[in-house]
Order: sequence, then structure tokens, then C-alpha cells
Amino acid sequence: MSTRKQFCTFSLNGLFFGVEVLRVQEVIRYQEMTAVPLAPAMVEGLINLRGQIVTAIDLRRRLELPPRTGDSLPLNVVVRSDDGAVSLLVDEIGDVVEIDDEAFERKPETLTGVARELVQGVYKLRDRLLLVLDTERTINVTSPGSHAQ
Amino acid sequence: MTTNDELQQQLIKDLLIESFEGLDRFDREMLALEKGAGTSDTPNIIFRVIHTIKGTAGCLGLSKIESVAHVGENLLSALREGKVSVTPPLINALLAYADALREMLRSLETERHEGEADYSELLRRLQDLNCETAAPVPPAAPAAPAGWGLFEEEPSAESPVTPPPATVAKAPPIMPEIEPAARPGSGGTPANAPSAADSAIRVNVDQLDKLMNLVGELVLARNQIVQHCGPAQDHGLLAASQRLNLITTELQEGVMKTRMQPIGNIWAKFPRVVRDVAGELGKEVQLVMEGNQTELDRTIIEAIKDPLTHIVRNAIDHGIEGPAERRAAGKPDTGMLILRAFHEGGQVNIEIMDDGRGVNIVRVKQKAIERGLVSVEQAGRLSDREALNLIFLPGFSTAEKVTNVSGRGVGMDVVKTNIEKIGGAVDVVSDSGRGSTVKIKIPLTLAIIPALIVTSGGERFAIPQVSLLELVRLEDDQKRKGIELLCGTPVYRLRGRLLPLCYLNQQLKLVPATAGQLAADLAQADAVNMVVLQADGRQFGLVVDQINDTEEIVVKPLGKQLKGIACFAGATIMGDGRVALILDVLGLAQHANIVSEVRDRAQPDKARTDQTVGDRQTLLLFDAGASTRMAIPLSMVARLEEFPRKSLERSGEQEVIQYRGQIIPLIRVADHIARVGILPEDLSDPMQVVIYAENGRSVGLVVGRIDDIVEEVITVKRESSGRGTLGSVVIKEKVTDLLDVSAIIRAADPAFYLDHPATLAA
Amino acid sequence: MRKTIMTVDDAATMRRMISFTLKGAGHEVLEAGDGAEALELLRNRTVDMVITDVNMPRMDGLTLTRELRALQQFRRIPIILLTTESAPEKKAEGRANGATGWIIKPFQQEQLLAVVAKVLPV
Repeated sequence: MSTRKQFCTFSLNGLFFGVEVLRVQEVIRYQEMTAVPLAPAMVEGLINLRGQIVTAIDLRRRLELPPRTGDSLPLNVVVRSDDGAVSLLVDEIGDVVEIDDEAFERKPETLTGVARELVQGVYKLRDRLLLVLDTERTINVTSPGSHAQ
Repeated sequence: MTTNDELQQQLIKDLLIESFEGLDRFDREMLALEKGAGTSDTPNIIFRVIHTIKGTAGCLGLSKIESVAHVGENLLSALREGKVSVTPPLINALLAYADALREMLRSLETERHEGEADYSELLRRLQDLNCETAAPVPPAAPAAPAGWGLFEEEPSAESPVTPPPATVAKAPPIMPEIEPAARPGSGGTPANAPSAADSAIRVNVDQLDKLMNLVGELVLARNQIVQHCGPAQDHGLLAASQRLNLITTELQEGVMKTRMQPIGNIWAKFPRVVRDVAGELGKEVQLVMEGNQTELDRTIIEAIKDPLTHIVRNAIDHGIEGPAERRAAGKPDTGMLILRAFHEGGQVNIEIMDDGRGVNIVRVKQKAIERGLVSVEQAGRLSDREALNLIFLPGFSTAEKVTNVSGRGVGMDVVKTNIEKIGGAVDVVSDSGRGSTVKIKIPLTLAIIPALIVTSGGERFAIPQVSLLELVRLEDDQKRKGIELLCGTPVYRLRGRLLPLCYLNQQLKLVPATAGQLAADLAQADAVNMVVLQADGRQFGLVVDQINDTEEIVVKPLGKQLKGIACFAGATIMGDGRVALILDVLGLAQHANIVSEVRDRAQPDKARTDQTVGDRQTLLLFDAGASTRMAIPLSMVARLEEFPRKSLERSGEQEVIQYRGQIIPLIRVADHIARVGILPEDLSDPMQVVIYAENGRSVGLVVGRIDDIVEEVITVKRESSGRGTLGSVVIKEKVTDLLDVSAIIRAADPAFYLDHPATLAA
Repeated sequence: MRKTIMTVDDAATMRRMISFTLKGAGHEVLEAGDGAEALELLRNRTVDMVITDVNMPRMDGLTLTRELRALQQFRRIPIILLTTESAPEKKAEGRANGATGWIIKPFQQEQLLAVVAKVLPV
């Protein structure tokens, strides 16, 4: 018996990613941010989400993809975590897709580096591959002690 | 009572809170009874506490608590009816009994069952004390099959209406009897307390936190509306926005108040603690509590409970003397311990004062040296105040013989850490032979704190007001005169002390940190804005671009991605909805190497290796006058001065100089260091003099040339030390001797330390 | 029919428990922390029944019963004493002060409801 799962999808440097819908709190447009000095580079800043302070992680930097170009502003995919909400900055938001477990594939060999670590699995869609992110690991960025710099 | 699980859990929570409070009241009234200070209602109050616990526990199916409570209830009932009298064994047994109940309740709280402890012996003790009444009926028995009944259905013959015994039937008057005036040491008027509790309701703290968050959001929305309405011409809209403004502020205050609790809530247990500790040590102590009603946020109350208990125990254990010693010192047998709480400047001050022997500074220094926390040399140059603060060092008290009283494996360092964790500060003052006082300053609330908003590198930052000492603004001329770049390290002379400066924009890497940049910045800026801060007893100046305003800010935690950055304590949302970071002053000072990290890392063992100094320090490097490079910690330098050679005078053998209306001795450092064949032929003109001050006395150290100021982790090998030096160390690839300041001062001016022979003893 | 019942107890846990049980049976519940507060609350309103603890600060349950019985509108309503003591003389005290009946603590939910059903017939 197969089970079906829903994923919230988005694109990043032409790649197609997804996170489980259950993990996503909301998707919001780009917000003004406060930069955090001494923070790891992938931390883009802090946003005020209705009184809650949310750390925004630049997913491109997190996945070691080339930096964003052009004028288009990234979007916030706010995911829940044990430690409160965290925002992932993505290029464009896609649809919610429902996928049968059977479509699950192993990570392709072409996936390397950090991305390979953070991608939980790959689903084969009709026209492309969906890379499913492990959100806990993705947001698990610890800052070095300030002295280590 | 079988109810659903959730309700049962909730009821048990209620029972725990209610019972712990009740038992504190029990202790308090018991102590009043012991002193003969009880009122006619005291036995009733005591009885009722146990009676309530028994009844509630029974209904919740907690049979062990119920049956233990039942035995005590019988004894207390007899006490209330005057059938047993108040004797020391009775008081002791009942206090132990209250502890037994607490133990079961705590077990219920943490283990979710009533615990395995066997109280049969204690209960037998209680029963023996209650010898005048019949052996108690086990509690399960009284519940008759029905458990209830109606009088009209009872055969009337069974109950001839007799006038009930006076103690019960004669109802107490509605108003409590007039209390005797609150006596010092009685901790207020406990008999009034229950009524306050009864008119209150219990609200889940999560609920309050939620409310608080909502209010925070409302404040933001309010701020935005007010901002938008500013330029509006519509009077109706303006009036409405002003009203919204007022109501929001009031609501915010109101919600904050719901989280406030009087400090008396945690002080309530101190009479008992004091009694027990004093009893164990054979001391007599009178406890006075002032300011019971001072209110604090409940999270803070929780956080200071243990530190306060430790300080109180400590004061009785180490501070207050035994009766004989007190008599010998001309003091009354009974020692005084005063707890005082009051609000001041948006903060709560708590003072724990005793009239004991005070802290023996000589012994503190010796102990710190024994424990390897400071070197002999370091101890020698500590001021009394600094020496007192040694007791807060990790490793100072933990290794001590663990007395049952204040041992407990925690030291004052833990007290300090815990208080600092909530944004507070702790300080101790001592008057030898007359007592000591521990002073604690804590914020009213953790959720909302007063803060100074500053701007640096275009970003706003909030600085908690607790660490703030003063604001200094230097305009053109002052700026040039006030701030000196001592070899690239900026310092400011604030009332005669050299204040190390740190530039926020550099510390946070908002601009590149180079000496050249710094000089350029200094030259460029119209004025220098400096926030004088205190961290870990050290003062430093934080230079920012702009000082904005003080504001009450709502503190929010940072996510785990940012927890490792020691410079930030959290974040807050500003009026315009943007996020601003809250600076952690201690973390920032450590980051800037203004205070050493050693204390926080708590590694007393490491300090016992062959290093005398192992922490990062800011050092002043100078040429001693004979091409010998030497260093002293900048923290020892009061001032750097230049004197023309002609101002040199002689007083007997001693070279002196007139300085600020004083005649101070001059010591040529070169004379005191062992470098055979090299003697200072000449002194440069003007002379470079390092002023060193201690205990109100100053001495000038004449050096050849000031070289540099560096931050280094210095590791000194003892064996390499020569005369007048503590040893040598490699700084910037050059061998540098660490000057033994106290040794050369002693050599040149034996009188300098005379007031403090202790420092010589080592 | 929905009735209004007042529970008087200085132990909040106990009040909560009773309140929960009675509300579960469809009644409206009014709470008071002691006799004095109960009297105060009942100055401007009436209730169909009072369940009161005996031993309480300020004003105990027996005094409350006596005070209520002195007032016209409370002369006939059921007043039940919650007591831990089943000794005959204690019962006599309750009766002498005008109580309707008693419930011995600890009690079961069913016992409480049984008393209410008995004295407040629908």
C-alpha cells in the first residue's frame, strides 16, 4: 500500500525543491530584515513575523549555490521547528504537489556537497525531479563562538 | 474522584501549588508559635493547612499523602483545642512533618507518584505527642458506605442537640482579631495573607505569556498607526489614535502586572531556613524582612530563589558569629540578618545584610592564592573591593569543606552566574568586624526591560540599562584631548582613570578594524558618543555612532542559529516594526578582550598549572630605559604622564615629583631590573611616567618609552623570572619581561603597602 | 433543570473539582473562598443550593449556615456541609446550625451528584 504526501515546492537556482507541507507554517513575501553581525553567512537576517522574531536563512548560501542575481526579491518559506519558526529564502514558490511514496528515488550521484547532505530524497515527477529537503538539518546552522572569528 | 486524566493532572498541579504555599504558611506560623508570637488564630491556621491538604489529596486519590496528613491533623486538632501544649519537641516534630509532606508532594510533582519514603517513625512521634487523645482512626475508615447524609433522615434520638464545644461553635468574628503590630522578625502579618490569596484566581502562566505576546503585537500596531497619523489632518483620526495609544500603554502595564509577584512569596520560607541553619550551627539569629510586597516578574522570582537561599545560608554560616564570639566582640548574642527589597530606577534591589564578622580579606586572598585563582603578585595589587569579589570566582568556595549548611556543592560563583543570567548584578561590601552586605540588582521583568537604543553602522542596537553607567559625548576639542591612541589602542581618560574603548562598529565587524581606519574615524567624526558600561566589575567605553533614546523593550530570544554569538542577548522589535539586536554587555566585553573569559569558562583546575596568568590581557609595553622591553597589565595603569626633567625633585634619597597637589615617589624601573652592566645613563626628557595608584596612594614608574598596547594571552614560566619581574613572555616575537610592580614598589618604598600588611605576607 | 449552586471552600483545588463535577451535570456554579466571601456574594443574588466546607479562615461553614438561615431567601435552600469528621457530635453541630446534610471528605464524584440529585429534585 502506498501513501501519498504533500509537498510545498519552490525553486532555487533552477532546481526544484520541496518540503513537507506539514512542516511549513506559511509563505510570505520578502520582508525587510535586520542583519546580524558576526552571524554565519547563510543567516540573512531577522524578520518580524507578527511580533515573533524569525531567523531568515538564505537557502542558496546554505546549499552553496551561486548567489541570487537580478532584482527579484526572494520569498520566505517559514518552517516550523522545535526552536520556533525559521524562514528559508527561496527564489520562487511553486504549487503544493501530492506525491505517491512509490515515486521516491535515491539521491542522484550528480547531487554533491552540502546539498547531498540536506536533501532527504528525490521524487521523480513527470517532467522533473523534486528534491525534498530535510528541514531540521537545513536550519541546523550553529554560529561559531564570537571568538572563533 | 474519577475524572478524566487531564483534569486530574490539572487538579494535582493546583494541589501542589496550594499545598506548597500552605506548608510555607505552616512553617511561618509554627515559628511564630515557637517564639510565643502567635495569635489566637495561629493554631487554626496551622490546622487548616493540613486539613485542606488531607481533604484535597483524599479526593484526588492520593492515599499516602492523605493518611500522613490525617495523623498530623489529629495532633493539630488537639493543639487547637488546647489538649497538647507547645513544646520544643512538638515544634520540631511538626516542622519535620511539614517536610515529610513536602517530600511527598515534590515526588508527586517530579515522579508523578507519592514516593517510597517511610514515615512511620515520624508518625509514631506525632502520635506519642498526641498521647492525650485516642489513637487515630485510619483515614480510610471514616468514609461511610454512603459518605453523605441528610439530617432529616437521621434518627433524631442519635443526636441530642448539645451546645457544641466553644472552640468550634463560637464562630470567629468576621474580621480577624486585631493583630499585634508587626514585629521585626515576624515577617509581616501572616494572618492577613490568606484573604489576599482567596480573592485571587489562578491563571495558567502560558496564558499570560500569550497575552503578553499579543500585547507586544498590539504595541507595534499602535506605533505604526500613531506614526501614520502624525501628519494626518483628520482630527477624529488623531483623537482616536491618541486614545489607542493611551489604552495600549495601560493594557501593556496591566498585563505586565499580572505576571508580578511579591518577593515575599519566596521570602516566606526564610524564617524556617534561618531557624534550621542557625540551630544546626548553635547560633542565634533574628531575621528581619523589609519590603515583602516588592513585586517582580514571576520568572525572575523563580530565578533568584536559589541564589538568595544560598546567600542567606552563607551569611549565617560564615558571617554571623556564635554567641560567645559575639559577646567577646561586644555585640548582642543574637545576630541580625536583614533582607530588604525595594524598587529603584526601574530595577529591584535586594540586600542581604548581617551584623557578623564581615569578610576577612586577608583570608580571602590567601584562599584565592591557595586555589590557584590568582597569583601572589595579583593578590598583592588587588584593592579591598576587588579582593572581596574573589569570592565570586569559580572554584573559590566549591572545594571548601562542604558543610551541611552552605556547602551543597554550589559556590558564590553560581549565585553570581545565575543572577547575571537574568540581567542582574551582584556585589558584596564588608565592614570588618561589623558585618557584610550582599547587594543584588535585578530587572523587574525579563520580558520588558529598559534599554538604551544606539546606532552603529546604520543599525540600531539596544543596550540593557543595568550595565549602563553614563553617557559621554565629546565634541571637537574634547575629542582630540580626551581620546588617546596609545599605540593604536584607544583609551579615554575619564576622571583620571584610563578607560579602554571599544568601537561597536569594529567589534561587530560593521567596518574594517584597522588602526588607520580608527584614526581616520576619529578625525572625521564631529563628535564621539561613548556609552560607559560595566561588565564583570570592569568599566569600558563603547563608542557608537549615535545615542538615540531609552526605551522599554520587549526581549525576545534568538534562534539557535544565533545563540553562539556572545555579543547578543536577544532581539526586540522597535516601534517601526523592525528588529533590533540587544547587546550582551559581558559577551561584548569578552569579545573585545576587555574582560577575560576565564571566569565564565570556570576552569579552576587549569589555573593551578605552572602559569601564573593564563588569561587574555591588555598589556602596556614599554622600554624600561635600557632597551629592555617590559609589560604591565593596562588595568594597573592609572594614567600615563609626561614630566619635564626639571620638575624632578628629591626628598632625602627618594626622587619625587609634584603631581596633582601631591608629592609622589618616582621609581626608575630600570634600576630595579636585573640586567648586569646596563644602567640608565640618562633619562629622556620629558620623562615618561606610568602612574600606579592603590588605596589612595600613587607612585610614578619612570620608563624609557611607551611602545605599544597589545592584547595577549600571557603564559609565564615561573623559573624564568628575574629580579623585579614576574617572568618573561613572548609578545610579538620579542621576549618581554612582565614587571613585578608590587615587588619594585616594595623595594623602593616599603611604606607604600604598610596599610595593608596582608599583601606582604604572601 | 439547570440550577445555580454555590461552592464554598478555601482550597481552590477542591472548589475546582466540585465546580467541574457540577458543571458537568449541567449546573451553574458560583465559587467563594470562605464564608465571608460567600455572604458577600449572596448579598445581591440568590442560589439554589450551597455546598460549604466547614473549616475555613475568616468565617467557617457552620457560621455561614447560621447566617444564611437568618436571611429570608435562604431559609429553605439546601445547605450541605463538606466535612472530614463523621463523629456524631460534629453532625449534631451541623444540624444545630441549620445545615441540610453532610458529605464526608474524601468523596466520589457520584456521591456529590447523588446528594445534589436528592436535595434538588428536577
